[in-house]
This record gives sequence, structure tokens and C-alpha cells, in this order.
Amino acid sequence: MNFKINTRTDDDLPAIELEGEVDVYTAPQLKQQMLALLDGGATEIMVDLTKVDYLDSTGLGVLIGGLKRMREREGNVVLICPNQRVRRVFEITGLDKIFDIFNSEAEAHAQAAGKESG
Amino acid sequence: MTAAKAHIVELRMPCQPEYVGVARLAILGVASRMRFSYDEVEDIRLAVGEACTNSVEWARRNARQDSDILIRSTMEGDALTIEVEDQAGPRTEATGQSSRDPESEGLGALLITLLVDEVRVIPREGGTCVQMVKRAG
Repeated sequence: MNFKINTRTDDDLPAIELEGEVDVYTAPQLKQQMLALLDGGATEIMVDLTKVDYLDSTGLGVLIGGLKRMREREGNVVLICPNQRVRRVFEITGLDKIFDIFNSEAEAHAQAAGKESG
Repeated sequence: MTAAKAHIVELRMPCQPEYVGVARLAILGVASRMRFSYDEVEDIRLAVGEACTNSVEWARRNARQDSDILIRSTMEGDALTIEVEDQAGPRTEATGQSSRDPESEGLGALLITLLVDEVRVIPREGGTCVQMVKRAG
């Protein structure tokens, strides 16, 4: 079972890129990276789930926890999730209504640009 | 004509986080042998993963990480019954501290309910058995 996590902070929007399965075994690594970005003062982060093929309730819990902390500082957690299987987990739990979920990074940036100009 | 005998596949594994993926792989193999659609197989995989995760979490709370989980899959006609039985101790809030994010408490149980046709949680001596039934079609 391969799991990879990579944090990118060179962009305007810090991003955590994940690959593989996010579950009870690997979710603590995601939590650690999110907390590091929070401690670094980030107010908005992107979590890229493009290469994730499995996400369970422990992964959802970490994402919800991160979103809650970001919202406390009027920030946000943006998700990139083109995989319909993974997206379905958000849909059946109703979490697609509290997260901003995009199909691609370009789509997320376009939405942000639209907000700024509008 | 006699009814076809049920086929049973059992897996015993340590009640630890790194083995939950093994259970998911095994159930994927079992469910793929039946008439389930791709989506239904994925539902079963997620439900079994969640049931095992719960066992792992309770084992951690009750300091029973050296216990085992037994996963028994019974294939009978179009129905797949999966029992996830642990020796992870009592599931009472008074015991230990959860390592799980408070935000995800209850999410796993909710997912199981949404993904399978029937679910029963049966307290057993020393642990709990979660019995899930999924029917093809």
C-alpha cells in the first residue's frame, strides 16, 4: 500500500498533495502536515486528492478538523477531487456542502480569481 | 434440489492500523467473485474498512492493540454477509481517550449504515461483532 504526501508552499496557496489511500494508518501524516501549515500561519490551503484512490472517515475527520481551524481565522480548505469514487464519500455524508470541491487546480484558481474580480 | 452450500472466507489479522488495508484488499477479492457492480464492491470495501477502523480505535482506547480481528465473509446466493469481530474490549465512552479527531466520531458508523443493506452491532465477550449484509442488484 503506497501512500505519498507532499507539501508545496512556493505558491500563493499552500498545497498538500496526496497519493494512494488515506485511512486510519496514513491519515495521521495528513494531520501533521495540516497542523504544520496552520502553525505557519496559513489561512487558506489546498488539499489535492487527484491521486487518492481511497479516503475513509479518518481522512474526512482530519479534513473537517483542518477546515474548522481555518474557518476560525476566516480561511478555507479547498479540495481538488476529480475522482468520482472519492467524491462520493463527501456526497453521501453531506460534506460536499461544507467543502469547496473542484475538479482541478485550474478550476479552483479560476473560482478564486472570479471572487476577487467580482 | 438442494440449496447451494454457503462459501465462507475468513481472515484473522492484528487489530492495528497498518492491517486495515489488508482487510480491504481481501474483501475486494471476495466481493468481486459475486454479482456486485463496481460501485457496490467499492461500497463493501469502504464499509469493511470502516468496521475494522472502529475496532482498531477501540483497541487503542482499551490498550488491546495485541488482540486480533476476525473477518468472516459468507457468500450465499446474491447475499454477502461480513462479520468483523474484535477482542478490542468494551465500547463504552468511559474507557480511555480517543485518538480519533472528534470531527470524525460517528462518521464511520454513518458510512457503514449508508453503504450496506443491513448492519447489526453485537456485543460479544471481550469485544464486538459488526455484522453487515449486502445483496447484489
